[in-house]
Amino acid sequence: MSEDVQQIILWLIPAAPLISAIITALLGPKLLCYKSHLPCWSAIAVSFVCSLILLLKILPSVGHVAASVDGVVAAESQAADTHSAAAPQVVAAHASHKSHTSHDGHSATVPQVIATGYEWFSVGSLHANIELRADAITAIMLTMVTGVSLLVSIFGSGYMSHDPGYPRFFAAVSLFVFSMCMLLLSGSFIQLFVFWEAVGLCSYLLIGFWFQKPAAAAAAKKAFVVNRIGDFGLIIGIFLIWTNFGSLDFVSVLGDSARIAAVEAAKPGVIQLICFCLFLGAMGKSAQFPLQVWLPDAMEGPTPVSALIHAATMVTAGIYLVARCTPLFVMAPYAQMTVTGIGAITAAIAALTALTQTDLKRVLAYSTVSQLGFMFMALGCGAASAELVTPAVTAGMFHLFTHAFFKALLFLAAGSVMHAMGNVIDMRRFSGLRHALPITHWTFLVGAAALAGFPLLAGFWSKDDIIAVLGEAAKNGNVKYRVFFGAIWAVAVSAAFLTAFYTFRAYFMTFWGPEKFPEEAGHHPHEATPIMAWPLRILAVCAAGIGLVVGPTHLFASYLEKTMGLTPVHEHHLHWPVMIMSSIIAIAGIGFAWMFYVASPAIPAGIARAMKPLYAISQGKFFLDEIFKGLIVVPLIVIAKIATLVDQYLIDGIVDTAGKIPRALSLIPQQFHGGVVSNYASVMWVGVVTAAVLVLTMF
Amino acid sequence: MMGWIQQHPMTIVGLVLWMIGILWLMPGKNATKPRPHMIGVLITAVGLVTFCLSCGKANSELADDVMFWTFGIGALMSGVLMITARNPVYAALWFALATLSTCGLFLLQHAPFLAAATIIVYAGAVIVTFLFVIMLAQQSGAAGYDQKSSQSLLATISAFVLLGALSVTLLSEKIDIERPVIPVAVSNEAKDRSDQTNRTDLVEKAALAGNLLSKADAEHPVGNMKGLGKSLFGDYLFAVELAGTLLLVASIGAIAIAPRREQGTL
Amino acid sequence: MIPDEQRFLLVGAGLFVLGAIGFMTRRNLILMVLSAELMLHGVSLTLVTFGRMHQTNEGQAFTIFTLTVAACEAGLALSLVLSLYRKSHSLDIQLWSELRETDMAGPKLEIRTLSDEPTSSYEDIPKLTPAGIVPKDQPRTTATSAATSTRT
Repeated sequence: MSEDVQQIILWLIPAAPLISAIITALLGPKLLCYKSHLPCWSAIAVSFVCSLILLLKILPSVGHVAASVDGVVAAESQAADTHSAAAPQVVAAHASHKSHTSHDGHSATVPQVIATGYEWFSVGSLHANIELRADAITAIMLTMVTGVSLLVSIFGSGYMSHDPGYPRFFAAVSLFVFSMCMLLLSGSFIQLFVFWEAVGLCSYLLIGFWFQKPAAAAAAKKAFVVNRIGDFGLIIGIFLIWTNFGSLDFVSVLGDSARIAAVEAAKPGVIQLICFCLFLGAMGKSAQFPLQVWLPDAMEGPTPVSALIHAATMVTAGIYLVARCTPLFVMAPYAQMTVTGIGAITAAIAALTALTQTDLKRVLAYSTVSQLGFMFMALGCGAASAELVTPAVTAGMFHLFTHAFFKALLFLAAGSVMHAMGNVIDMRRFSGLRHALPITHWTFLVGAAALAGFPLLAGFWSKDDIIAVLGEAAKNGNVKYRVFFGAIWAVAVSAAFLTAFYTFRAYFMTFWGPEKFPEEAGHHPHEATPIMAWPLRILAVCAAGIGLVVGPTHLFASYLEKTMGLTPVHEHHLHWPVMIMSSIIAIAGIGFAWMFYVASPAIPAGIARAMKPLYAISQGKFFLDEIFKGLIVVPLIVIAKIATLVDQYLIDGIVDTAGKIPRALSLIPQQFHGGVVSNYASVMWVGVVTAAVLVLTMF
Repeated sequence: MMGWIQQHPMTIVGLVLWMIGILWLMPGKNATKPRPHMIGVLITAVGLVTFCLSCGKANSELADDVMFWTFGIGALMSGVLMITARNPVYAALWFALATLSTCGLFLLQHAPFLAAATIIVYAGAVIVTFLFVIMLAQQSGAAGYDQKSSQSLLATISAFVLLGALSVTLLSEKIDIERPVIPVAVSNEAKDRSDQTNRTDLVEKAALAGNLLSKADAEHPVGNMKGLGKSLFGDYLFAVELAGTLLLVASIGAIAIAPRREQGTL
Repeated sequence: MIPDEQRFLLVGAGLFVLGAIGFMTRRNLILMVLSAELMLHGVSLTLVTFGRMHQTNEGQAFTIFTLTVAACEAGLALSLVLSLYRKSHSLDIQLWSELRETDMAGPKLEIRTLSDEPTSSYEDIPKLTPAGIVPKDQPRTTATSAATSTRT
């Protein structure tokens, strides 16, 4: 495949959704109306096909081109070694100022495709270019993103079929897919940041899709503002990278570990700081503690939006960032430990909160937060030892990959339930749906089992990997960190148990028990239409099988290792003890849920009464919203009120006084205008006399 | 200025006394107890006479002088009494007297037609009309607003400052009047004369004659009816016609502005 | 020594100044107009004198025009005064002070009661002794009545 064709395919991936977004936005409301899904479907399908081509043909071909080795640089630092595999990068040089490709001449060891766009701006020595850069991790994520987006948009056209905002929905979804693809294809930190914000914007547009509902508008604002807090950290991190590395390009910053070591040696601790700041950004985007408050509220948006953005794609951007910046993180063990710790805390808190939620979508939202915590737990394990870096990143990315499928499936199934129940999603108001909605029931069951980690399903393999990596870190890692990682391992195992429990709690509450429908459902709930049913089926197959296909076979791991910054691991083995243990945990969780919610439903009520304060904390979402309100929102409101008063009385007072001065000054001449004719005549006469006297005496 | 004051002390005294007299006579704050009227009249009279006598004697006959003094002081005194009278009817009557004195002065200035016209128009028509309006509008007699004057001090002092300045100007020296001379055609030889030409030639050459028909000559001295007629209907014909039109317009206007009978009479 | 004509200029100036004083001090509308007429007298006198000093009839001709205009002005002024009187039922000029600033108080109008001075009524107007036969009807006391008719 020639370079030009590669370039075209690479550009098509983001360009097709962008064109679809423009067409849908411009022509949608008047022309396309309820056919607005057509540009969106076709564009995402094109993106998906191109991503597959990129994944399966281009990158492997790039990797296998036998070309001259551009020099082997033996890294003498204690950081990760750079492999000298003969895999030169394919650089399609269009612009003449591509200085970063020929820098230091050694990053030609990973398969990557770079397509330059144009120079956005150039200030001093900062060159911000629009360019696309695809390597292994990008290709995997692109395939996952476009695939899930395609299925979700097909589902969405059935779900939103009667909504008056139909064109707006698909315009926003296309825009989101474009932003996400560009984010994944970014070649520099600054381009990443631009599209980081763009996905935040699309999330805002889609969460607040039914903006007439005040709750939805508030949730959209909350999501955006909380993300902003994270973005603050991200931009600080980018500034620090710029000042220390002099460049914002991925290849130049992340490709050379010797340079990173040099920077760390020059200013000790700066890499830690950079990693903390970058992780702050990831926390905001991926809803980690304490910034996870926006994700449950984001369920106000339509269910396909929740499936797409808040399960599969946008929230994974934070994990992608941390995984991408692995070369930086490996130099910052404290930052890695922070990553793991925050991930663990988040996983635990979210799991505990999900135990008592009654809204099906909220349960799934907290489950997403918890699973994201799992992924971060895995990513930070590289602190334990250098060999664990690649398995850790691989485990985290693998869980991200499988989680996308089964979480999207779960959300779409919940959407189907909502659709059938007349937009009611409170689990206390319906039950026993497994006979009325068979397709939804079976697909939900598959997704729930995958999430819980039922043996041989997707989630089993990925969660397995995470627990295994954590166990490795706790057992064989750096002595200093063993206790820490041991504690994290315990948290992970408990969270896995809780995951199984609350997932099947939700499943049993919804689909088992006596048949009960709410009044909004009408007399007979209807099953999902084919346009909604087929994505469910496809996702169910993926959720069931994809883990098996790419996990134990180490296809995923060996493909991912070729990412820049990761060293290939020579041996991959299955972790049998971990597999058995997690199977037991999953089945135990399912069993407990069965016991509590199907066999004897009185137990949960009893436990709730017995542990009232804990129950209240869990149901109150650990009161994080209230804490934030008290600590941050209320003081800001007070400051704003003070500022209003200052503005009103002080500043406006000054301005008004300045306006009153002419009036005051005019009071003096006003006295001359009494309206009395005699006064006027007298003044005139005095003037005449003065003039006449002057003239007469000067003669 | 100082020299003039030293030369004309009586003028200043006269003016000051005159002013004090007017201020005395002005209807002031004390309506219940006005200042004695005759004293004010006396002071004014003394001031006036002093002022007039200080103007100096003219080169004229006694009869001229007496008549001038009579009419002059009469006019000024009547004016003073008119502006300070409390009763508006009395004021109108004093105005009539002032008009008569002015007409006398006109007569002394060789303007008989003007004297007659003034008496007819003013004393005959204007004053009578004013009196009618006063009597119709002020049927209760003297009203409150006639008993008080506003800003008398400012008005009087400023007016007398002007009068003082005018006196300075008029009493200093003889006003040089360039009496225009009828231009005579000058022959070319006369133009070539040397610079030692006499004044009359210069005046002849450069004279601006003004309106020719208004000239007073031996046949029609100033004030002659024929000469006045020639002036009016010769030089100022357009103005005369306009004046007639103005009178027409004014009469129409007066009728239009005045309230109708159905709108209520006074 | 001044020429005799120059004395007339002083008289004219005096009349003008007196008219100005009267215009400014009086509050009665009619008397203000009368004072203006007095000013015109002074001006006419000055004009005539200057005409004579220039040995030309222009001064007198211009004075005739002045007379004409004064007559028109008097007629129109009286019509306007009557219109004003209809509105305010008084000849006081200080009642018409609308041209002032809106938040200023108008002039203080002291309507003084002439307690000591007797208000003149019909009887106070000087009457001539009737000429000829004494009329039979007694003069009426109301002021709005028509004038008594005298029969010769």
